[in-house]
Amino acid sequence: MPATLFKTFKDIIADCLIHVQIFKKNILLGYMHFSIAFGWFMLILVGHIEVMIYTPQRNGVLYYPVFFRYFVMETHETLRGSFFFFLMDLSLLLVLTGIGLAIYKRFHSRILGMRRTTKLRLGDKIALYSLWAIFPLRLLAESFTANISGGSFLTISINHLLNAFVTNPDHILPVWWGYSWALGLFLFALPFSRYMHIPTEILLIVLRNAGIKSSVSRDGYAESEIYSCSRCGICIDACPMTSKKRNIKFSSVYFIRLLRRRSTESLATADKCLMCNKCVDACPVGIDSTRLKLLKRQEMHVRSRTDYEYLQSIENKIDATDSVLYYAGCMTHLTPAIYKSLFKILKSANIKYTFLDIDGSICCGRPLFMSGDKESAKELINKNRELIRSSGCKTLILSCPICYKFFKEEYKLDGIDIVHHSVYINNLLTSGNIKLHKGIGSFVFHDPCELGRGSGIYNEPRELLSAIGIVKEASQEKNLSICCGGSLGSLTLSFSEREQIAKSSLNSLLTNNPDKLITACPLCLKSFSTYNTIPTRDIAQIVSENLI
Amino acid sequence: MNKQVLVIGGGPAGLEAAGQLENLGYKAYIVEKSDKLGGHLLKWDRLFPESISAAETLQKLLEPVGHITTFLDCTVVSVSKTGEHFSVQLSNDATLNVSAIIVSAGFSLFPAEKKEEYGYNIYNRVITSADLEDFFKTGSDSRIQNPKSVGFVHCVGSRDEKACNRQCSKVCCITAVKQACEIKEQYPDADIYCFYMDLRMYGRGYEDLYLEAQSKYGIRFIRGRVSEVAEDETGKLVIKAEDTLSSKPLKITLDLLVLMVGMIKNADNENLSSLLNTRLGDDGFFQSASPILRSTEGEIAGIFFAGASTGPKTLPESINEAKASALAIHGYLSKQK
Amino acid sequence: MIDFGYSLTSSSRISLDNINQKKLKKITAVEPDFLKCMACGSCAASCSAGNFTKVNLRMVILLLNRGMEKEAIALIEGCMLCGKCTLVCPRGINTRNLIINILKIYKEV
Repeated sequence: MPATLFKTFKDIIADCLIHVQIFKKNILLGYMHFSIAFGWFMLILVGHIEVMIYTPQRNGVLYYPVFFRYFVMETHETLRGSFFFFLMDLSLLLVLTGIGLAIYKRFHSRILGMRRTTKLRLGDKIALYSLWAIFPLRLLAESFTANISGGSFLTISINHLLNAFVTNPDHILPVWWGYSWALGLFLFALPFSRYMHIPTEILLIVLRNAGIKSSVSRDGYAESEIYSCSRCGICIDACPMTSKKRNIKFSSVYFIRLLRRRSTESLATADKCLMCNKCVDACPVGIDSTRLKLLKRQEMHVRSRTDYEYLQSIENKIDATDSVLYYAGCMTHLTPAIYKSLFKILKSANIKYTFLDIDGSICCGRPLFMSGDKESAKELINKNRELIRSSGCKTLILSCPICYKFFKEEYKLDGIDIVHHSVYINNLLTSGNIKLHKGIGSFVFHDPCELGRGSGIYNEPRELLSAIGIVKEASQEKNLSICCGGSLGSLTLSFSEREQIAKSSLNSLLTNNPDKLITACPLCLKSFSTYNTIPTRDIAQIVSENLI
Repeated sequence: MNKQVLVIGGGPAGLEAAGQLENLGYKAYIVEKSDKLGGHLLKWDRLFPESISAAETLQKLLEPVGHITTFLDCTVVSVSKTGEHFSVQLSNDATLNVSAIIVSAGFSLFPAEKKEEYGYNIYNRVITSADLEDFFKTGSDSRIQNPKSVGFVHCVGSRDEKACNRQCSKVCCITAVKQACEIKEQYPDADIYCFYMDLRMYGRGYEDLYLEAQSKYGIRFIRGRVSEVAEDETGKLVIKAEDTLSSKPLKITLDLLVLMVGMIKNADNENLSSLLNTRLGDDGFFQSASPILRSTEGEIAGIFFAGASTGPKTLPESINEAKASALAIHGYLSKQK
Repeated sequence: MIDFGYSLTSSSRISLDNINQKKLKKITAVEPDFLKCMACGSCAASCSAGNFTKVNLRMVILLLNRGMEKEAIALIEGCMLCGKCTLVCPRGINTRNLIINILKIYKEV
């Protein structure tokens, strides 16, 4: 418990004040968020300290620290004063640099690492422009009064400058009004704008660390996720669909906005999504938008379920007590080279294997699950689990990452080692059971969504490939890998839209002119080989070709 | 002085066009990217529907070409048009000044390994129609060992968005029927199956061959597209399709599977079309000025087409188009001073 | 014609006159790929569920176009939405969305 509390506290500081996640993405963008959040936080904190020290009788009066220099005639000459005044000026300067960057970003977002930013709605615009106005006005107001209320390096200097033009103290007042109005307007617009994320994110972190998950798309946790979305738009660039401009509207930021407005259109967006999880990986707030979309599908695609009674009559004829069990899954039946190569490798390592679904598969259930039919998926899981259990196997090898992720997460096959073939083959290599011929050919490895972001397997396939040749980098790889376009996650993406995605992914993969494109998923293999200009191979194929 | 014409591609269409142009009194040059004249005809054994020898046909096409200047292993590097003249730079550093250009660059065969589920280059007993033709010609192919059952898969890489090829290749249906009969002649005991989506027997004599295939050779036709091919323990092929006429999934074990690979655009069409400043259609084949009245002419004056460069064609169609193209050039050049 | 509640035409004959056009329009609107099928049978041949049951998407599309809704639905029961048919379809039909929507539109009558 204390550990969770500490982690929560740490996460709040790191994510809400310092914005570590955004720094990781782009230093300038991180600084922009950090300077505004941290600077403003300091202004509030130091402002309160000032009130406590100089006017303790006003402690607790909400507006007092905000307009402190309007009310108080203090001199900065006192030692304590000069320190706090310096801190306040410094914090204000920090915020102002952030605001400056924010304004600049509206026009040239690329400099801050963003190709596209979110389109704003009225509430957002009011909040945004008032936010921009608050701090310059505060600077002006505090500078005007700096010779009365005290100030530091920033406000005093500007005060001297201003005195050259404005001598009538009556002109001071409107600037304070302006500051007050801007702040008021911002706070008023806040709940209707994306800036609701400022208070909500803290709640989200607390809930997340408490281990809460949402079960419908609008429950408490989901709500806190929805309101925590700052609509920064980082997910727009991340989304593979947005390589076509007209698909920008399907990116997660707009999905969450539709969800927040309880729009019925949110379903269409949820259905379109590839569920490649790239946006979730990129989200600085850590919103699991894929899960929200899945929940939306579960709620909306309530259909009279189809009948899976026939599964009961399927009997197990497989005995795998003294061999590893292999399950091809539906897709690998269309890419026979994968299992044929895998079997060749197993034979050369003297490993006995049994082919569970040689006569055709019962689907693993993940496609049904992703379509929103959780209950039906369970029936398939149960039958497959029964078949696997009764085979008596200790190790189950899968060549389809979609199956792999699902078996790992949902099948509860305790005591059975579930391995993806890329990892299994790499283990054979490191244990010396197979030997490979190292050549001079170069490869680029495409991380399938479900294997990489989905299951966290990035290194084993690359280790394996580096034993055969040179591994070249793609412009976006590992957790940034772009979906091949073949994902079963999307329900409504058309063939031509998928083609577009496959081509943009290929573009990234072929950046460094590799000789061959290697992947570890039957779907990726099929999607890429259709359009690829260089050979596309599964990792098992390339290994079997280079066995000694 | 004889006017000069460049023929790009030395396949049947290019050869015929060059021969006709010479007859009409022009000087023709043939540029061929491979090391032999004849194109795909070189690899074929007998031609549908009457089983005429491909070699003899090619021989006849080559006869008038004997004295025509041909550049083998050669491609076009650049083309510039000044007034009515083209200055063409070749990859062997020769420069030609011609008054017209015929694009008879032909087609490519669909690479069957792209349809992974059919197992070409994965299973030993899966071959293409071109491989089979080579077997008929040379009499040897290690993959063909006295097969007792043979399947033909129509439309491999044709009528298939997944193969990036929407068009019908026109010649495969009748070629499959021809090859099915031929293999039955070689292996009278074998059971032969053709898996088709639609049988397009549109040409003269095609329907007769189809009838003969059914009645004389006992070829069985199954209306269903093969969806996947697996291998059993003995190395035989297990084919899955739907028998769409009985609406039942179908499974059959075969000794040999022949993939009827379709006609697709040449990979270098894009380059060639940009050199010639012509357009390609969505299918990647060259686009003529008008599909009906000016199908052999390009949009740019002086550019002409013949054969499969403008889409899949049968051999007689290509030959006829070559003649038409030569005549169109004659008309075009006669008007010039 | 007056409907006496019975008819003399053979019940096994397909009647194109009585097709529910509204539903056909609806399914075409949500998944325009419905119109693309050329009945090659690839979907039925590769179908994971079709291995064990009568699931046959090609027939479903055909039967719906012939107004035989009940028969069509019977051939979609048991589909596991695995997506193999999407992969093999030569016309690039988005079969999974089609199946989900056929069930939505035709099953809940």
